[in-house]
Amino acid sequence: MKEKVQEELIYINKTMKIPYKWRTGEVWGEFFRELKENGIIYANQCPTCGRAFCLPKDVCTRDHTRCTDRSKWIPVGPKGTLVTYFMAEQSFLLPTTGEMLKIPFAVGIILLDGATVILQHQLEETDEEKIKIFMRVEAVIKPKAERKGNIFDIVHFKTITE
Amino acid sequence: MANRVAIVGIGQTTHSGRRPYVNDGELIYDAVTRALEDAGLTINDMEAVMAGNMDMFEGHHLNDAMLNLYSGAAGRPGFKMNTGGTVGTMTAIQGWYHIASGLYDVCLVIGWEKHDEGPATPAISTITDPAVDRHFLVGAIGGLATVSVAYMQRSGCKLEHAAMVRANASQAAHRNPMAHMREIYSVEDVMKARMVMYPLNLLMCCPTSLGATAMVLASESKAKKICKKPVWMKDHVTVHVEYGGAQFGIGEKRWTSHMEAGAKLFKRNHITKPMQETQVFEMYDPFAFAIPMWLEDFLVCEPNEGWKLIEKGALKLEGEYPVSPSGGVLCTNSIGDSAILRVAEAALQLRQPIRRCTLHQLYRRLRHT
Ligand SMILES: [Zn+2]
Repeated sequence: MKEKVQEELIYINKTMKIPYKWRTGEVWGEFFRELKENGIIYANQCPTCGRAFCLPKDVCTRDHTRCTDRSKWIPVGPKGTLVTYFMAEQSFLLPTTGEMLKIPFAVGIILLDGATVILQHQLEETDEEKIKIFMRVEAVIKPKAERKGNIFDIVHFKTITE
Repeated sequence: MANRVAIVGIGQTTHSGRRPYVNDGELIYDAVTRALEDAGLTINDMEAVMAGNMDMFEGHHLNDAMLNLYSGAAGRPGFKMNTGGTVGTMTAIQGWYHIASGLYDVCLVIGWEKHDEGPATPAISTITDPAVDRHFLVGAIGGLATVSVAYMQRSGCKLEHAAMVRANASQAAHRNPMAHMREIYSVEDVMKARMVMYPLNLLMCCPTSLGATAMVLASESKAKKICKKPVWMKDHVTVHVEYGGAQFGIGEKRWTSHMEAGAKLFKRNHITKPMQETQVFEMYDPFAFAIPMWLEDFLVCEPNEGWKLIEKGALKLEGEYPVSPSGGVLCTNSIGDSAILRVAEAALQLRQPIRRCTLHQLYRRLRHT
């Protein structure tokens, strides 16, 4: 198609700032309370299929069972295995903070010891040469006084040798 | 038994990275006008209008309502699809349902994106839980990079194979006047591009494009009157994925939504050798590893064979099984329009094949969510 007018026309420049307050619900609330008060990462278990979710799930995806039974929760990690990862070498706008991502930023898909599903979190290591699939990692948890009951109570995952 | 549904009109805008001199409604109007012209119909022949786009990306809620003067939806039934990259195919599928059910005979379906009006990456990241993993997703590209690393690990595919995929795509897009990135790149050019999100460099990621595509769908009785070469939409499968370890084969046999979709589609259409029984695959390929990896996952070829087909040149435009002969999403990614464009491009391939290909060949397509 041939464009007749090629020069820029008037545009509206606008940044929207919209406040939200998201409720975590029963399972996530309990997960974050344990992380904040005791520094323990929990997986909740599905009473039907027995899978241990970490990150936790309110409902099992496979059998639609509510997974709120607290007696079935088990501590997992803090050690685990790196399944895969990405490393951002270009910055992107983050919807969580409205700020640009600090690069390099490596994120791992991690299977915590004792869990049957994965979680996604930041890796301390940002040297691509030193990140190996199936390497062992461990969650670095903030000191109690600094913990707020959110996902950033886990600072990142550091590489460990065993 | 569902009624047969045909594509009888196809219209798309040119695709580019920035068009500051048009608004999103004008893109829709262009695509709709072209699709109607192609079908030889007017807006008054349309019994329903289906629209597809993601509200968050351009920052309007219910933008189909705001833009219904451009689409022609005002005063007509139909609704808006709001899935992600899949939205365009989902919109075409909605048109299919409305005609297959016998409710309507002629339907207009539209997908669009004005990608230069807002940042898509933070909007995409909002698909995740804000309390948990939103900070760690970094848009679609973060997720696509993780599956690429895992694919390289399990299959033996190398960065060079992804570069071959992008070089092939550039050859195809160069011949498509409607594509966005039409420059020809060699494998070396692709390898030299700056890294964006390891293992994906700038050329191995899809661009941010803008554009719109519209199609007129019709029932069998109408299609034969409207058009000499209707392209039949034979079947479609949609599968939702569980976010967990299954796609990486953690704790169980590797399982993905692609596998489920491919297995269902081929089984119920009695296809046992997809690469022999179909002749072309127009894939939603938003990153260079997608073609080898998803050919395997859709069960079109054997596991770990995808990159070997690339190496042999089998998937090139002139190869034995061309994949994305339009240049694919790798060269044109106007997200809300990308998936409907795959359907349109597949239909165009059947109307005007790039090589020997019978016109009665049925259109078969795979999409994933
Ligand atoms: Zn279960």
